[in-house]
Amino acid sequence: MNLISAAAPLSVPASGAEILLWAGVVMASLGVVLGAVIGIFAKYFRVRSDARVELILELLPGANCGGCGQAGCADFAKSVVEGRNAPSKCPVSSREQKSAIARALGIEEEAGFQRRALVRCGGDLHHSAWLLNYNGVLDCASAALVSGGPKGCSYGCLGMGNCARKCPFGAIEIVDHIALVHPELCVGCGLCIAACPRHCIALVPAAATTHVYCNSPEKGIDKRKNCQVGCIGCRKCERTVPGKFTVEGNLARVNYELAPEELPTDADAVAVKCPTHALLSEQAHFRIEQNEEIR
Amino acid sequence: MKYLELTIGAILVYNFVLSRFLGICPFLGVSKRIGTAMGMSGAVIFVMTLASAATAAVYRNFLRFSVNGRTVDLGFLQVLLFILIIASLVQLIEIMLQKLSPKLYQALGIYLPLITTNCAVLGAATINAKENHTVLEATIFGCCSGIGFALALLLFASLRERLELANPPKAFQGTPIALVTAGILAMAFAGFAGLC
Amino acid sequence: MMNKSSRSVLTFKGGIAPEGNGKDMSSAIPTRNAPLLERYRVLLQENAGKPPKPVVAKGDKVKKYQLIAAADGFVSANLHAPTSGEVVGIVRVPGPMGLMTEAIEIAADGEDSGDAPFAPLDWSKASPQELLARVADAGLVGMGGASFPTHVKLTIPPGKKVDTLILNGAECEPYLTADHRLLLENGEALLRGALTFGRILGVENISIGVEINKIDAIEYLSRIAADCGVRIVPLEVRYPQGSEKHLIRAIAGREVPSGGLPADAGCVVQNVGTAVALDNAVRLGIPLVERIVTVTGEVVRNPGNWRLRIGTPVIKAIELADGVLCEPGKLILGGPMMGFAQRSFEIPVAKNTSGILLLPPRVSMNYMPTECIRCGRCVQGCPMHLMPCLLATAIEGDRYDLAAQNHVMDCIECGSCAYVCPAHRPLVQHFRRAKAELRSRNRK
Repeated sequence: MNLISAAAPLSVPASGAEILLWAGVVMASLGVVLGAVIGIFAKYFRVRSDARVELILELLPGANCGGCGQAGCADFAKSVVEGRNAPSKCPVSSREQKSAIARALGIEEEAGFQRRALVRCGGDLHHSAWLLNYNGVLDCASAALVSGGPKGCSYGCLGMGNCARKCPFGAIEIVDHIALVHPELCVGCGLCIAACPRHCIALVPAAATTHVYCNSPEKGIDKRKNCQVGCIGCRKCERTVPGKFTVEGNLARVNYELAPEELPTDADAVAVKCPTHALLSEQAHFRIEQNEEIR
Repeated sequence: MKYLELTIGAILVYNFVLSRFLGICPFLGVSKRIGTAMGMSGAVIFVMTLASAATAAVYRNFLRFSVNGRTVDLGFLQVLLFILIIASLVQLIEIMLQKLSPKLYQALGIYLPLITTNCAVLGAATINAKENHTVLEATIFGCCSGIGFALALLLFASLRERLELANPPKAFQGTPIALVTAGILAMAFAGFAGLC
Repeated sequence: MMNKSSRSVLTFKGGIAPEGNGKDMSSAIPTRNAPLLERYRVLLQENAGKPPKPVVAKGDKVKKYQLIAAADGFVSANLHAPTSGEVVGIVRVPGPMGLMTEAIEIAADGEDSGDAPFAPLDWSKASPQELLARVADAGLVGMGGASFPTHVKLTIPPGKKVDTLILNGAECEPYLTADHRLLLENGEALLRGALTFGRILGVENISIGVEINKIDAIEYLSRIAADCGVRIVPLEVRYPQGSEKHLIRAIAGREVPSGGLPADAGCVVQNVGTAVALDNAVRLGIPLVERIVTVTGEVVRNPGNWRLRIGTPVIKAIELADGVLCEPGKLILGGPMMGFAQRSFEIPVAKNTSGILLLPPRVSMNYMPTECIRCGRCVQGCPMHLMPCLLATAIEGDRYDLAAQNHVMDCIECGSCAYVCPAHRPLVQHFRRAKAELRSRNRK
């Protein structure tokens, strides 16, 4: 073949069939050459990746929330395959998903209860004392640094939304300067817990529907100066429904270690009739905080 | 002199992203962090140089030749062949990157195979064909276009990192303000027009 | 703003000069001793480090100057009874940071009797170790604001060499005049205290920095210090001249490295009040139980300087100044720049309370911050050469890594940036938040 530049006037253009032939030859040969090159490279640069990581990744919910402590779902899948983590560590996946992952890897499934977050405070704008004229950044951690925060109680929720902003599932709503966790949206990833400067958010079993909405260990008399709905440690709950509540110092709490069937129910909350309305069923708590029912 | 013109032209005056508006997809997609932007730039320079060299060689030698006194003009295969070569090169770079730098491979994500359909690479090859560059000229043009792309990408990534901290009105947050900034950057580069 | 190279007045780069400093209200008023009160509530924890452990119990009778709480560990200071009386018990009182904290309450018996618990020493003859032990025994802490135990500051870590002692008589905060009166009234005790510090550290290069708005103090001290080896250094009136790092920069011409301590620059800085307290502890053998406090502010009827004992409730101090003219807008302990606003008048005076400031409502009004316009005034004003605008933007976007990269941990929270910001952005609050966040991350 002579190599010529474009449009040499002395040659005759080839016929259609010939062009088609040469087109085919050129394409085919180029294809073979390139394919061979890629093949050689693929063999030389092969990366051994475990197919199981892909499989686990498919089974995971893929929220990339970091609740497992790893950087993302891909990292978690890798750690589970390598045996460094258990499938139950993913707080977002449902029981079925966890079982599926365990089955795929052929390992024993860990028993674990679904947990979710709870804001242990009922002291919103209408029920607690807001002593100070706070003029600063609307951020709970910053507000807590200024003279202990604008609230009278130094242990209660400040309601400026650090937890709500941190929640990747939008499960926390701020109403009247208090944080409310919507249990149907919360998956228990735990990111809100680190965000709260007052440490008033805790992870509790999802099966529990009755809680004590107070976080302050102060004496009852001091608490009453700052909040109408704080637990005063009167022990009425302990006496009325024995075994389900424990009063430590001046603060009552639900025995969350009990089996799901034995946890306090809404009927128990009604039976106790907590004098300060600190011990409530979830529904009652929501009604009061959202509708501003004066207790 | 021609090579100087070629170089300055490809990098500054006729910048692929900011003057020719080719390759906007990775320009917007990979420019959120300077680290990934640098990785992407490296990949694109590599692909563009090799692609320009290979496509120019194929174009000049195998798309128009004469055999037994008859000219065979396979010009219609231009786009097909160019894409074939570019796709293979990107595949090669994907395989190499997965082995040599898995972190960068994951960070680039979908944008790495998208270099295949990146109009900047095909654009460089096509311009080489149209202007009838020699293989050497084509290689230099491809390399400098890649450098121009990298320049625009890195500048934009630095701007975007600062934009992340800024507080524009709600309607502008995210991609809108990034596009406006890209437009202003393009206007700035228009200042080079007429240089060569 | 440039560093003055003139010999007469030294200064540093950056900082601000607050307009009208309110010192005229009380700078000419001599210090008066406060009358004995019925109850004193001595705060247990007022500083960094561990709170001292009480050594008295409810019902114990104590004499003035008696030890009531012993230091717990190395970074901790002794507490002594401010008067004689009976220990009522450990009570919860509002603390300086707004949270309830513990205090030992003493009901005074009215006699105010008690002997000096330590044997008097001659500073020029006692050994440095004896003097250092006296510092710890007497419960001396930094009286400039941080209340850091002085014996810890005087214990230089091995590997660091100190050759300069600087005494902080700058009192750069507006409204405060306690140190000014101390310079005028306790000059000789101050010089003896300075020389005692020098003896403990083995340092002969001793300077006392005083801002030139206290020219009477400078003249008086220069006269009496004429040939005793202590230099009186006049300083330009600039805030925050009283900060350790800036005193070192102005007087010794050295810079403390980022994240470092004054000892890294070969210097030790002490407050002039601490020096006088040291002289009392050495020469008279008495511990630190009282200090000069400026009770001032436009709301106060008769501003002045009072020698108050630790444990005096702030409300009593205000009564000494004949009460208020109108409803106060803010109660601040310390100065208006770096002092802390308080939520209760029951908070007691501590060893580091330099001022009780009552500001009127018109200057404590709420402000609404607007957007940063990148004017750069904060960068000009920052005495630590940081970029407050960039730091605040990073912190608002939760980018603590970026803030740490830009040295937010070097911020001394002086408030110069927030003072000059035309958009009234709460810069210092952002930085305090970031520092707390970074410290807790480092601890993990």
